Amino acid sequence: MSAEGRLLLVDDEPQILRALRPALTAAGYDVATAESGTAALAHLAVEACDVVILDLGLPDMDGKDVIAHIREWSDVPIVVLSARDLETEKIAALDLGADDFVNKPFGVGELLARIRASVRGRDRRLSGQASFRSAELEVNFATRRAFIQDQEIRLTPREYDLVRALARHAGRVVTHKQLIAAVWGPQATVDAQFVRVLVAQLRQKLEENPAAPRVLLTEPGVGYRLATDEDA
Amino acid sequence: MSHMISSWLRRRPRLVGYVAAILIVLFANLLALIADQALGYARVSMIFLGGVLVVAVVFGSGPAYLAAVLGFVSYNFYLVEPRFTFGVESEDIIILIVFLAVAMMTGGLAGRVRDEAIRARERARTSAVLFQAGRDFAGMGEEAAIAERLAAGLAEAAQGPAVVLIDGQIYGAAHAALPSGLADILAVFDAPGATSAQEGDWRLRTLWAEDRRLGAAAWRSPGSAGDLDEVPLIHVLLDMGATAMARARLSRAWAEIEATDRTQSLRNALLSSISHDLRTPLASILASASSLRAFGDAFDAEVRNDLLDTIQEEAERLNAFVGNLLNMTKLEAGALAIQGTPFEMAESLDRLVGRFERRRGGRAIEFSVEGDRLVALGDPILFEQALSNVLENALRFSPEQGAVEVSLRRLDEMLVVEVADAGPGVQSDELSRIFEKFYRSKSANENLQGAGLGLSIVKGLIEAMGGVVTARDRGDRSGLVVSLMLPRAKT
Repeated sequence: MSAEGRLLLVDDEPQILRALRPALTAAGYDVATAESGTAALAHLAVEACDVVILDLGLPDMDGKDVIAHIREWSDVPIVVLSARDLETEKIAALDLGADDFVNKPFGVGELLARIRASVRGRDRRLSGQASFRSAELEVNFATRRAFIQDQEIRLTPREYDLVRALARHAGRVVTHKQLIAAVWGPQATVDAQFVRVLVAQLRQKLEENPAAPRVLLTEPGVGYRLATDEDA
Repeated sequence: MSHMISSWLRRRPRLVGYVAAILIVLFANLLALIADQALGYARVSMIFLGGVLVVAVVFGSGPAYLAAVLGFVSYNFYLVEPRFTFGVESEDIIILIVFLAVAMMTGGLAGRVRDEAIRARERARTSAVLFQAGRDFAGMGEEAAIAERLAAGLAEAAQGPAVVLIDGQIYGAAHAALPSGLADILAVFDAPGATSAQEGDWRLRTLWAEDRRLGAAAWRSPGSAGDLDEVPLIHVLLDMGATAMARARLSRAWAEIEATDRTQSLRNALLSSISHDLRTPLASILASASSLRAFGDAFDAEVRNDLLDTIQEEAERLNAFVGNLLNMTKLEAGALAIQGTPFEMAESLDRLVGRFERRRGGRAIEFSVEGDRLVALGDPILFEQALSNVLENALRFSPEQGAVEVSLRRLDEMLVVEVADAGPGVQSDELSRIFEKFYRSKSANENLQGAGLGLSIVKGLIEAMGGVVTARDRGDRSGLVVSLMLPRAKT
């Protein structure tokens, strides 16, 4: 078994499989491929897998349905490949349980970073870590305190809930809907505008220059992402 | 002359009747005086009765009553003893009273019959005018045609010149004869409901459709419009015309909405096509290049070569797609210059099949030629482009281990290339539509992406070279056969 674990790459375009396989292998993954949603589900049913890379445009079924099926019985990290202009698709995929997405076309560096963040995210969920730490930001989940460059910053309860939700998924995108559920509760009917306002407040406290954020990054049209050291 | 009299008579029907009644009674007097010499006075009353009857039949009841009274008076004056007085001897009183009663009754009855007949004729004419106009309006989709027809109907109903103004445009044969200034007044004329206004000897009315002003109409009636029986006819006609125009306007607006809708969905299809057909090769190129940069040293030579091949092939694919887009644009603009040169078709096919060697995956391409010296007339580069679109499709829709058959043969003065795939085929009702731009077969999986551009470009290119493209079901098993035909070069 390879160092980084087993990876399933699902895409119906053979040239994409051909282009990605060497780099993923070189990065230490044991790569399996599937050209359809059915094949992917069949593979996952019999083979253990540590991460799935899934193209949303598949010939036999909607990529979102593949995610929904996988999530019925597995919380394997899923990174979605999608076109930049299909925002609603991406958001739906993330809300269905995909861990992150990469816009096509993409460089392998970006893809590998997203894969690592997603896998780490799962590790963090499983290990129930008590704090998040990056070069700039530290969030202590046990004491509900946050520090920027070791200086404590005072956060309102909502600001803290927001930063915690992002820190729990550090490096990965969190959709507006997921943030609303984390801050206002799963039943809340709050406009995404409230999230934007809260993010703007938080950036005043976290960022050196709130107009050019380095810690709390925007994923246009989808949500937000907390930078990890890998993004620096 | 007779026309002038009749039209004059029509314009002044009442006055004419009364004048005629007087004249006819005078004439009856003359006849009676002449007849009196021969017949004696008691019998000439018939002459006056006859005159009253004539007046009644021709001019209606009013003039008939006048004629009866006048006849009674003059009969009394001239013919009843003592003559040339209004005095009456007692035995004649009965005769005179009976005469007057009979004259009044005859005149009244005959006149009423005549009036009824005229009214019935008028009603028939009104219905005919309205019926014909309604039928014509129903058959017209163009606002301008309806306005023109309405102006003609209005002229007929008013028995004078008439115009209709819609959107600043004046319709009707009379628009040249319109008095100066009336057009300007008409353009802004806006009176509520079915009221009309007088402007010189023209009448003006606003055209309404659902309480919205559509335009206005003007007409000139020979008579004083107020007394004419045509007035209700005119208003009904104008309302019908306005409704018809509103309907035409509505259906045009609807058609525009539909056209916008279609344009929008075409644009969306084009965008999703570009999104997929451009991005997939780009994604492969970018992934390969960034892999080489990140891991180049770790890869062995074979992997490096494979990635470089991917970059090259995908760049070629991109180039072909861009070429397709450009050709489509040129085809649509009619700017594609076709260079009609003789070329060996078998060579073209061979070259093309070779180019697909890497792209075909596990699918086989079986290539057969029937006959020799198969020289076609056309542009070999555009032909190869067209055929490559067909082959691309055939490979895409064929299963992994399927075979695509390409054959070339001669058919009279044409050369035929047939590409038969092993895909699911196409419903027969869709066969003609698959060459439409952005059309994607319903049976093709929804998730199978693609622009629906390829075959429309094939059709455009082949037809621009004087060829024919057809599609049919494979017949023996599932699959689609696309035939490209080009004219054979004269040797």
